[in-house]
Formats: sequence, structure tokens, C-alpha cells
Amino acid sequence: MIETPHTIQGYHDQIHKALQNRFLGTALGNFAMAYKGSRARAFEGLDLDRLRQEMARAKDQSLPRLMELYKSFKARAEAAGAVVHLAKTAQEANDIIAGIAAENQIRHIIKSKSMTAEETHLNDTLERNGYQVTETDLGEWIIQLRHEGPSHMVMPAIHLSRQQVGSLFSDVTGERLDLEDIERMVKVARKELREAFLTAGMGISGANFAVAETGTLGIMTNEGNGRLVTTLPGVHVALVGLEKLVPNLETALKILTILPKNATGQLITSYVTWITGSVECQANPDGKKKLHIVFLDNGRLQLARNPIFSEALRCIRCGACANVCPVYGKVGGHALGHVYIGAIGLILTYFYHGTDNTRAIVRNCLNCQACKSVCPVNINLPRLIKKVYRLVLDDDSEKPAKNILVNTVLKNRKLFHGMLKAAATAQKPLVKKSDGFIRHLPFILKKEHEFRSLPALAEHALRDLWPPIRYRLPNPVLRVALFAGCVVDFVSPEQALAFIKLMLKYNVQVDFPHNQTCCGLPAMMMAEEDTAAEIAAQNLEAMQPEKYDYVVTLCASCASHIKESYPRLIPPSAGLTRLHDRLIDFSSFLMNVLHVKPDQFEKSGIKIAYHSPCHLCRGLNVTREPRELLSTAGFTYTPCRDEDVCCGFGGSYSIEFPEISAAILNQKLDYVMETGAAVLVTDCPGCVLQLRGGMDKRGSRIQVRHIAEMVAKEMKLG
Amino acid sequence: MKQADLVQKMTEKAGLVQAVVSRIDSFDHALAYAVNLTREKSLNTLTAPGLNPEDISHLSALCQNVGLEFVSPPLRNHLRGIHTALTHVDWGIAETGSLVIYSDSEDLRIATMLCDIHVACLSASHIYPDSASLSTVLKDRMGAGPGYLSFITGTSRTADIERVLTIGVHGPLKLHILILEDHQP
Ligand code: SF4
Ligand code: SF4
Repeated sequence: MIETPHTIQGYHDQIHKALQNRFLGTALGNFAMAYKGSRARAFEGLDLDRLRQEMARAKDQSLPRLMELYKSFKARAEAAGAVVHLAKTAQEANDIIAGIAAENQIRHIIKSKSMTAEETHLNDTLERNGYQVTETDLGEWIIQLRHEGPSHMVMPAIHLSRQQVGSLFSDVTGERLDLEDIERMVKVARKELREAFLTAGMGISGANFAVAETGTLGIMTNEGNGRLVTTLPGVHVALVGLEKLVPNLETALKILTILPKNATGQLITSYVTWITGSVECQANPDGKKKLHIVFLDNGRLQLARNPIFSEALRCIRCGACANVCPVYGKVGGHALGHVYIGAIGLILTYFYHGTDNTRAIVRNCLNCQACKSVCPVNINLPRLIKKVYRLVLDDDSEKPAKNILVNTVLKNRKLFHGMLKAAATAQKPLVKKSDGFIRHLPFILKKEHEFRSLPALAEHALRDLWPPIRYRLPNPVLRVALFAGCVVDFVSPEQALAFIKLMLKYNVQVDFPHNQTCCGLPAMMMAEEDTAAEIAAQNLEAMQPEKYDYVVTLCASCASHIKESYPRLIPPSAGLTRLHDRLIDFSSFLMNVLHVKPDQFEKSGIKIAYHSPCHLCRGLNVTREPRELLSTAGFTYTPCRDEDVCCGFGGSYSIEFPEISAAILNQKLDYVMETGAAVLVTDCPGCVLQLRGGMDKRGSRIQVRHIAEMVAKEMKLG
Repeated sequence: MKQADLVQKMTEKAGLVQAVVSRIDSFDHALAYAVNLTREKSLNTLTAPGLNPEDISHLSALCQNVGLEFVSPPLRNHLRGIHTALTHVDWGIAETGSLVIYSDSEDLRIATMLCDIHVACLSASHIYPDSASLSTVLKDRMGAGPGYLSFITGTSRTADIERVLTIGVHGPLKLHILILEDHQP
């Protein structure tokens, strides 16, 4: 049985257990690493972006016509001898299938893999009705024997070790098995399941496609069990989500081209089976197969009409959004999903399995954008996750305290900044002057938060330092406004000072518009969209982008939030377009606008490792500039494993899920330490907080710096 | 793409998924190949659904000569006893090394699913570059009433235990592809 905690407390217990499972961590870590390589190889030479757009478009065109496609499919398939059903709910689907079994006096049922059957908990119904059900996909069989749900949509038993599987099989077969010998275990499964294939009276499958123009089902498997399930027994029932309907074979073939590559880096699955209607089957007296196709609605038709969430139905269940998710990599699928796993699971659970099952898991997202960057049908997963979070908050009458706080405080810049200043004073006794860390945890934080040293608020915020250093250049080459963001303004103003030092050298006039405030991303992360919209409008007014050539920011998160979300949050205007077009990150500004040259810098050759912030490399697609800037500024850039994997910060995420944040951070720091670099550089002040806090906790000598600080340091004077 | 290039790509891609690919220049070679392979592997039975009567009588004679049992349809009566299956292939897809087999006949399905070794004979002139270029042909077939069509790429495989690739979980343990050089344009 799948049990997903309904409360955040229960959820933390589950996470705690998952994090203690050493095997899980290693297995998922190795998988994530191998997956990236094989996926890249599989797509070599293909125009992936074009394919993704085409597939997203094809899916979007089908969604409003699902019923039309259904009718066409039904007409064709029934003309070819199938019986086609439409089930409104999961229960109805299960009842139809149990009815078919009863009508045909079935005792034993074999199944090939179907996420849709997992969604409806079909096995439970069938078993309650007295049928013996055998899963024949090896992974599904394993988890069936263990009475648990899948932990991955493509590899359902990825959470288990060979030893666990070996002893399970020993128990089931009564044969003592070598617990290291996977090949032997597979042979045992072959033998056991072969008997099931030969004796069962009914086969149940899912389908990857339902081709409307011909009434054909398409089923992909690697093991070949799909072919056996659909061939040997006299009755075949396919349970298919309505969103699997595609207008024509071309669309199905397109999905087929991309799905296995994106799922596991395979070019194609070993078997793809296309079934049109009732074919020969000598198990039945009339020599023909009894084929029933049950389409499942279960909220899909309504979802297809939803202007925001319909894109979730594009999903082709490749599982990639879990493969690359750093949270999945630490806690696994049982703790990051209900039936559906990973990023898409956080979304679909709400629609198929309700608020209670979604409440806790939906918060467990760093907004790192990794899932979005690999989704073959371009679903904006992180955005939809926040939208689901909003629905959950609306369903629950009691709001988390932090949401109430964010709504009251962030909207009011003076109140917010006043509180920060008061906090800066209040924290004084806790701060160790020399390194700027807080040496005693404030009482609101628990022991789990000790994984990194906490930064102190700066004694003087940037906005207070600014009036005395404000300058006017007679003939500047460019005029730019600095959008600082909260962290630079209140915690790390030295990063802005480094930027200003550089700009003076390059004859660039910098202004710091005083009324700017938090970019609003924290509100967005808590699904407080109205608050985020108000803040966006305030910042647009404060920044006056029409007065400047560029708006530069040192914070990748602020930049990607402003670029991606502001146009969705506030009405279009000339100012907004200008802000959107002229907003630029530090590295791109130096490389692409100022065209800085190596001879303007000392050649220190210091060995530097780089952390690529999520919101820079995926949010803004900036990958080349920071690395080139490091080399231009005379450093030795030393590549590091998983440079573009999240550092685990995620703003308030690291407060809410400190145990996961710590696990992700520690992995990152291990990799950085492997490089032998003297300094770790990144271009997001939030990442600097997390990484520096972690390094300090380790007592490591590796310094952590914002790229602006390092570049400014190496600038030649004069 | 020229036929020679298609054959080469087909060979390369099928090889990557553990299929054994050879070239032959007459179908008789396929018969002999299947018989020899069965003997080499110390297996005892062979079946060949979908062959024309002439080839069948030829093949069953070959089997008899070397003491192999030739299994005749209907194969439902022999679900546990099929060692080698020799079949024709309708189309090849070079891009992925896939075989396309029209499998409406139950015997053909049973043979290719339950055998230990599948020997599949593909005409070189029937190799297409990719699935998209075959879509019209397939679509016509699918639109023509009840049908069961298979794409087969390599052997049955799983990676469900610790992601270790293991061959032959449910279907054939080995796939041999014989490309018949039929010298057509
Ligand atoms: S945004 Fe990152 S943390 Fe959130 S679901 Fe996607 S990959 Fe996981
Ligand atoms: S949401 Fe996208 S990446 Fe995730 S399983 Fe679906 S198609 Fe794959």
C-alpha cells in the first residue's frame, strides 16, 4: 500500500528514514550520473529543442479534442472487433475490468506495467474480488511481492538492492539464491513468470499511445512481457489514460523517438507492439481475442480544459523529471510522490489523489528548474508545482505562519527593511565579527539547521552605504541601474561594492534606485502570487528602466524571477518590456557588453571551482559567460562534477527541509573539494550563503566568493 | 540513403543491442543457419511460422537429417517446447536497428516470444532509414482491420535490479538477424 504522509511532521519522519538509507543514496546518485551521460549520447545529432517544441505542440493540439479523438478511436477499434469503454472515475474503471473478468470466468490475471493501473489501484480491487493477479514486469513484480508502490515511473524497484531482491526471491521460491548474482535472479523470475503467462486467463496492459485514426494501441516494453500479456490469454484488457490519445501514427512515432532516449538513454525499447482490434487467439473457441480497451477520465477531461494545468497532461511518463531532481536523488520516489513520482508527481497527485496526499510533498521543491530543463514536452514543472501548492493552501483553511508573514511584510518595503535593520541590531551579540557568521543559532531554528553556519546581516546595508559613495561620471559609456536583491543589500553589500569598483574602472555610471525591494521570488516560492505581483509592480516603478541602458543584477535568482515571472504577474507596459529586455546578469554584462579583456587583469592563476546557479544556467540559459570571465580575469577555472546541480539552498526551502538541503549541499562540497580548488566561485548571493556556510561548518580552507568580488580583486589598477 | 549504407547502419545499430547480424545471399542459407545454430547450442526443436510450404518441407528435411524436432503449428500445443524460431521480417529500421514484423498470426507471435533463439531474415531492400519514412506503409496496414504489428530491437532485456543490464528476461535470449542481399534498387 502506498501511504503518503498527510502532515508535514509525518513527512519529515519519512524523509528522515529515506536519508538514512545508504543504499538508496548511492544507487540514486550513480543513476543520476549515468543518466546524464547516456541521455546526451542518445540525443547526439538530433535537434532536441525542435523535437520538444513539436511534441508539446502536438500534445496541446490533441488536448482540447480528446473526446473527438476518443470517438474516432472507438469507431475504428470497434470496427476491428475491440470493445471500447470510457470510465469516468478510477473506481468505475476498476469495476469495468472486474466485470470483464467475471463475465469470462477468469481466475488468474497477468499484468504488464501500467502507471494508469497504479493510479486506480486496480490490483487492490481485483484481489478483493478474489482474482489472483501477477505483475510480470520484473520491477513491478518485485514491488508487488513487497506490497509497496513504485519508486520511479520507469524503474519501479530502483530503491532496492540486489541483496533485498535476492532474499525476497529466495523466500518466494524456496530456493537459496546467491545474493550477488543478478543474472540468476532474473532467470528465477523468468521461470516463475513463464508459468503465469502460460496459465492466466486474462492479460491487462497499459498503453503508451492510442492512435485515433486507426484505433491502434501502442505499447512499449523492454522485457517483452507486454507481448506475452497481450498474446497468450484469451482476454486482453488495456487500461489507458485519455491523454494517451494521439491523432495519428506520425505523432505516436515522434513520441516513440524521444521517450526511451529521454527516459534511460535508450534509442528505442526492445519491443514496441501495435495492436488494432481483435486478432487471432486460439485460446478462445472462435479463434479470436477478446479485446477490451478501457479509457480512463478520472479528471483528465476537466484538467484538459484548465488554462493553467492542462500542460501537465502533455506528460509522456518518461520519468526524466525525477532522474535529474536533486531532491529525488536524496530521498527517492516513495518520499517524492504518491503514485506518480518526481516533479510531475507533485502536480498530478493533487488532481488524481487529492489534497491530503499532496499537502506535504508539494512543498518539497527547490525550484531548481532541473526537471523543466529535461522535460521532453516542455512542461513548466516548477511553476505548476507552485500553482498546486496554492491550490492546497486554498483547500486548507489554516495557512502556514510563514505565508501570513510573507504577505504582510514583503508587500510593505518600509516595514520589511525596518525589520531587517532591527534584526541586524538584535543579532549583534550573536555575531562573530571576524567572519560574519552567527555563532549561536537563533531560538526559532532547530538542530537540523546546524548543517551550515548562518550568515549575519551586514552591519550596514547597501542602501545605507550608498549615499556617501554615490558618484557622477562626466561622460560615462553606459548608465546602469543596480538591482541588488535582499541578500546583496542586507547581507553581502561587499559584492555590490566590488561591482561598483569595476564599473568605475570601465567608466560606467551606476545608480541604486532607493525604492527597490525584494524581487518577490520568496513570495512566489510560498505560492503567494498576489503578493509577488504587488512587489513586482513596486519594483518596476522603483527601477525606472527607461532611464538606463541596462539593469544589472548580481543575483541570478532575482534576474530569472524578474524575467520569467514579472510578465505573467503584472500587465504589459513599455517599462516592463524594457526591464525584461535590459535586465542582465553580472557575467554576461562584463563579457557581452563591456567586452572585458585579459590584459585588464592580473594573472593570478588561482585555481577556481565554479558553481553554476540554477537560475543562471537554467533560468537565464547563461553558461558560457561566467566560465569565460573567470579565465579572462586570469584564474585557472577547474571543472567540477555536477557544477550545474543545485546547492540545496532554495531560499526558505533550506529552512523548511534542512535535512535534504544539507544532504544536497554536502554532496556539492565533496565534489568541490575533489577539485583541489582554492576558491569556489558562483554568481548568486544566495548560493554564496549556502556554500560558504557549509564550507565554514566543515572548517575547510576553501573560500567561497561571488564572482564579482574575485574579478574586481584581479582588476589592474591605473 | 543507399542500400549499402542502410545495411551498414542496420548492422551497426542492431549490434549495439546485442543482436548478431550476418549477411546471406539466399534464403536457403537462412534455413541452414537456423539448423546449425540450434545444434551448436545443443537445443532440440525448431519452428518456422510464416514460411512458404516449399521452404518448410526443405527445412523439416534438414531437421530430420540432423535429428532436430521440427515443430508444426498450431504452436499453442507446444508452448513449452520451442527452442529456435526462424521467421521472415517485413521491414527493417536502420536508425535503431529494429525489425518490423507483421504478427497477426498467433503462431508467429508465440514463436518469436517463447523461443530461446530468434533467427530473423530481413531483405536488404526492405530496410528504411527511420520509422518516420515507414509511417505511410504502417498506417495503411493498421487501417486495414485487425492487426498485431511488432517492432523488435535486440533481445528481451531488463535493468530492474540495480540497473544492471540483463538479457533475456521474458522473450528470446538471443536474436540473430540475417540480412538477405537481394540486389534490388
Ligand atoms: S524544480 Fe528542482 S527540486 Fe523542484 S521538482 Fe524540479 S528538479 Fe525537483
Ligand atoms: S513531466 Fe516531462 S519529464 Fe516528467 S515524466 Fe512527464 S514527460 Fe517526462
